[in-house]
Amino acid sequence: MENSATLEAEVISERRAVRSRRLRRALRPWLTPKVIGGGIIVLLLVIVGLSAPWIAPYDPNVQNLSHALRPPDWLFGANVLGTDALGRDILSRLFYGARISLVIAVMVVIISGVVGIALGAISGYFAGTTDFLIQKLVEVVWAFPPLLLAIAIMAFLGQGLENLILALVSQRWIAYCRVSRGQALSLRSREFVDAARSLGARHTRIIVRHIVPNLLPSALVIGTFSMASAIISEAALSFLGLGVPPEIPTWGSMLADGRTYISTSWWLALFPGLCIFFTVLGINLLGDGLRDILDPRLKRSGSGIG
Amino acid sequence: MRIPELSHRRMCAIAAAVLVIGATIWPARAQFRTQLVVGVTDNINSYNPIADSAAFMASVWCQVYGCLITYDYEAAAYKGMLVERWEVADPTTWIFHLRRDLKSHDGHPLTAEDVVFSIDRMKNDKQSAKRAQVAPIKCVKAIDQNTVRMTTNGPTADLLEYLTDHVLVMQKRLLETYGDREADRNHPYGFGPYKLKELAIGNRVVLVKNPEWKDFRPGTPDTVIYRLMREPEQRVTALLNGEIQIAQFVPPHLASRIEGSARHRIVTSGSIEMMFLAMSPKREPWNKKELRQAVAYAIDREAIIKTVLQGQGRVLHGPLSRGQYAYDANLEPKYSYDPEKARALVKQAGFPSGVDVELFTPVGRYINDKQVSEAMVAMLRAVGIRAALKTPEWPTLWTDVQKGRVPFYYMGRGLMISGGPAISQYFETDESPRIGYSNPAVDDLLRKSRATFDQAEYIKAINRALSLILDDAPAHFLWQHNILYGVSNDIKFTPQPDHRVFGTSVQMNSK
Amino acid sequence: MLRYLLGRIMATIPVVVLISLLVFLLIHAAPGDPADLLLSDEASAADIAEARRRWGLDQPIYIQYLRFLANIAYGDLGMSFKYSDPVIGLIGERLPATIELAIASLLIAVLIGIPLGVWAGAKPNSWADNLGSVFGFFGISMPSFWLGIMLILIVSGYFNWLPSSGRSTYGVGHGSDFYIIQSLLTGNMKTAWDGIKYIIMPAIALGTGMMGLVMRVTRSSVLEIMSEDYVRTARAKGLGERTVLWRHVLRNALVPVITVVGLELGTLLSGSIIVETVFAWPGSGSLLIAAIQSRDYPLITGTVLTYTIAFVVINFAIDMLYALIDPRIRFGK
Repeated sequence: MENSATLEAEVISERRAVRSRRLRRALRPWLTPKVIGGGIIVLLLVIVGLSAPWIAPYDPNVQNLSHALRPPDWLFGANVLGTDALGRDILSRLFYGARISLVIAVMVVIISGVVGIALGAISGYFAGTTDFLIQKLVEVVWAFPPLLLAIAIMAFLGQGLENLILALVSQRWIAYCRVSRGQALSLRSREFVDAARSLGARHTRIIVRHIVPNLLPSALVIGTFSMASAIISEAALSFLGLGVPPEIPTWGSMLADGRTYISTSWWLALFPGLCIFFTVLGINLLGDGLRDILDPRLKRSGSGIG
Repeated sequence: MRIPELSHRRMCAIAAAVLVIGATIWPARAQFRTQLVVGVTDNINSYNPIADSAAFMASVWCQVYGCLITYDYEAAAYKGMLVERWEVADPTTWIFHLRRDLKSHDGHPLTAEDVVFSIDRMKNDKQSAKRAQVAPIKCVKAIDQNTVRMTTNGPTADLLEYLTDHVLVMQKRLLETYGDREADRNHPYGFGPYKLKELAIGNRVVLVKNPEWKDFRPGTPDTVIYRLMREPEQRVTALLNGEIQIAQFVPPHLASRIEGSARHRIVTSGSIEMMFLAMSPKREPWNKKELRQAVAYAIDREAIIKTVLQGQGRVLHGPLSRGQYAYDANLEPKYSYDPEKARALVKQAGFPSGVDVELFTPVGRYINDKQVSEAMVAMLRAVGIRAALKTPEWPTLWTDVQKGRVPFYYMGRGLMISGGPAISQYFETDESPRIGYSNPAVDDLLRKSRATFDQAEYIKAINRALSLILDDAPAHFLWQHNILYGVSNDIKFTPQPDHRVFGTSVQMNSK
Repeated sequence: MLRYLLGRIMATIPVVVLISLLVFLLIHAAPGDPADLLLSDEASAADIAEARRRWGLDQPIYIQYLRFLANIAYGDLGMSFKYSDPVIGLIGERLPATIELAIASLLIAVLIGIPLGVWAGAKPNSWADNLGSVFGFFGISMPSFWLGIMLILIVSGYFNWLPSSGRSTYGVGHGSDFYIIQSLLTGNMKTAWDGIKYIIMPAIALGTGMMGLVMRVTRSSVLEIMSEDYVRTARAKGLGERTVLWRHVLRNALVPVITVVGLELGTLLSGSIIVETVFAWPGSGSLLIAAIQSRDYPLITGTVLTYTIAFVVINFAIDMLYALIDPRIRFGK
């Protein structure tokens, strides 16, 4: 009995070791400096964004007019990164701003991903007229220089979180759509799709079960890059006064408000600028690392403003 | 395809050559006799002098073409520019006598025909943005070479306020010979103290002195350049770097930068633009007078002026302040900061648990406008008026205000000399939908004021109307800004309350 | 070849028409009325109604659009409400400034990005490579407007080295059209230098993102080619490292760089809208922002269409260039 018990324990621990070795082996290609560095920054953004209400020292919108424009007090100050023209705490606003950036970036990536992959998969799978029509749409939307369509949408539809997301999605779905279509075109004639079809599976099922899963790795890479560009674009639109309403603190609008104070109260514009910069840097690093691993052939698919 | 090869060495050599050439050219800056450069915030929009409604361009065109009338803020009186004197023949007839000593930039005398023609153009030009300014005029006639008669639609005691700075005199001969477009672009010869040298739309305007003009003070700049610089930091930086000599609209927080410079100073002028909060009595919940009054008691104007505006503003107890034509220090009622009373009034208005409203504000149009509104939102919330701040883009907001679709907004109304036309526009029934206020007693008093040519009576009538308006509180009058200008010590400059910078009001110190 | 060209051009026409329709609908869905905005503070309701009638805004949308299309067929983009001038002329006045800014930014991106990329790629994992990569990542992650503000603050505010905004000094040059290029062509070094002083900061602000990208693409492309057989052969033949690098590697490595530059030109074009706002650069981007702010419908439509057509043309030109460089791509697919 004892023997068998130890044997069993040995087997289990052996299995565990194998599993952890496998895990390590599976993880190894992922542990590049880019992925780790970028991942840490992104993780930090997510943590800060999610826990903003608990870690922010103040309510981001509470004003204290008698404490306006206090410079940063690094060690013991009530306002570590200073206050703005209305005496609001910059650090708290940055924390809440991370939240908005996160919400906007994630929403934009998800919506444009879903729209882009769906249209791309349909376009590539059905080919023919459907493909032609969808590709015409792609061509038209793509003919706008990046950001211009977003500016137009915000200018014409007005401020608001929904409009902002719509504006940012307006062109971002195309990258997914193009890549997905190309891949779907080649997938549709592969054996497993043929097999599914001959078994009588419906088109929806084939697309959802067989085509889409194969499109996801590339989409993930595109997603990280479009997340970075979404954050920059949001800031750019806020900078032009075309962002979200003023009671929502965002890095872009903090930067836009702070720019008129830059020579006298530099902390108003410097910190949000640094936040945008490091976030985008982190996401770009992560995206680059992911691309190296998942899809080295996928060339540039979005960066900078756009 | 061959790609030209550039060795490191060759590239370095080219770079060095560029640097050497650059360094030798750098100090060779052209010298001018005297040149004033002003950094301005308003855009330069059109070659057509009457197509622009922006206040800033009116002053530029006034210097080029010459205006009939301007206003002398120091003397608190209207002053003829192209007109020598005027008289009111009867309540609807005005006679203007033109100056006889003026010659146009291309050497022709000023005639009454030119004035009649110009006013007709302001009325009829398809692109005219100045119709409202000549709207009270029924017809204009040239009585002789130098006399013009204007007939108004009804008695209009404040006709001069309509005409001030807006009625430019263009030459009939040029416009008829070349047509509007060609004349505006290539023959912009007016009667004013400066000639138009260069107009780069959206960039700069260059004016040079008209040697024919007689009234220059010594030291008036030979060249005046208005450079469009929208960003306040840019204007201040350019001023400190010596690129410009006057920086318009310096925000209060940047004043210290200029004061820190030994070669520059800040000069201030009280604006005649009233800043106010409009509350449309036509709309829920603003139809409750108590709620409107509560807003007036809830806002601590002194605190906002002291902090957000950094002391650069004066509290208003009506639309006008000392120095303006119809100002009366005894105007009642006056509102003071009293949050307790405001809270009680909110309850009295029928909102025991407070009320939700939206406050609309422009961004970047008035000094620290967004911060001011954010501060007011906090004060309103403290008394139970839970305001949410809305900052639509200016076009959207302005259109909606003009259509009467915005119940509660922060805004300004500039160019108030006597105040009459602006008060009518905002508070007389059906004059404009901007507030939607209507009170027959106020209408009567305003109508009466327009037919009153006696100053004391006019002021009395206007202020009786204002007293009723204040009690009803369809608007809460907040403050007038102090406008800060960054000025180089190389010049003498006294700013005007209407924010305009005339070359003739500047004197360059001789070096 | 010619048939292919014509075909390509014809194929873009429906795209442009569809875009104009999209812009037109978007504009008319917008709140805000140009007549209210452009007439003076004192304008009455009758004045406003008159202006609306004059601009054709009282007509049903489809009529307005058909009119617009008919005018476009004659190359007429209509009259700007705000500037009371033909839209095409306004854009023509401003576009050269934007193009010159884009060229300057492109030069910065290419002249710094490519050498850095070659340097990094030639010695992978050296300190040069690491430094270059960091630089490249910084470039693509830096928002252009923030960089612009910082440049103004430091370069002109603190050191007073360069003018903070605008395009030319009055009295030195006119500062219109292709200011620098014309000055260089006519040999007027004084005005050329004047223009260069003004363009440096906006060009850096606009070009840095692209520089980062160019650097990274060059690096990876050089890396890839360095491992190819013919490079090894060239080395084996005893050619100097420098000759191999500049003669064999760089030329082949440039193909993907050109693609990326082409793709990014659009970003440069629209990025200029923001940079122009920061530096008060009198280009078509600031024209567009001003037009948006006053709901100048014909001018907005005209500017957006111009940007779009420019973008389409650039893409087209890049395709052509690409085909020239890489003979494997055949015309007509």
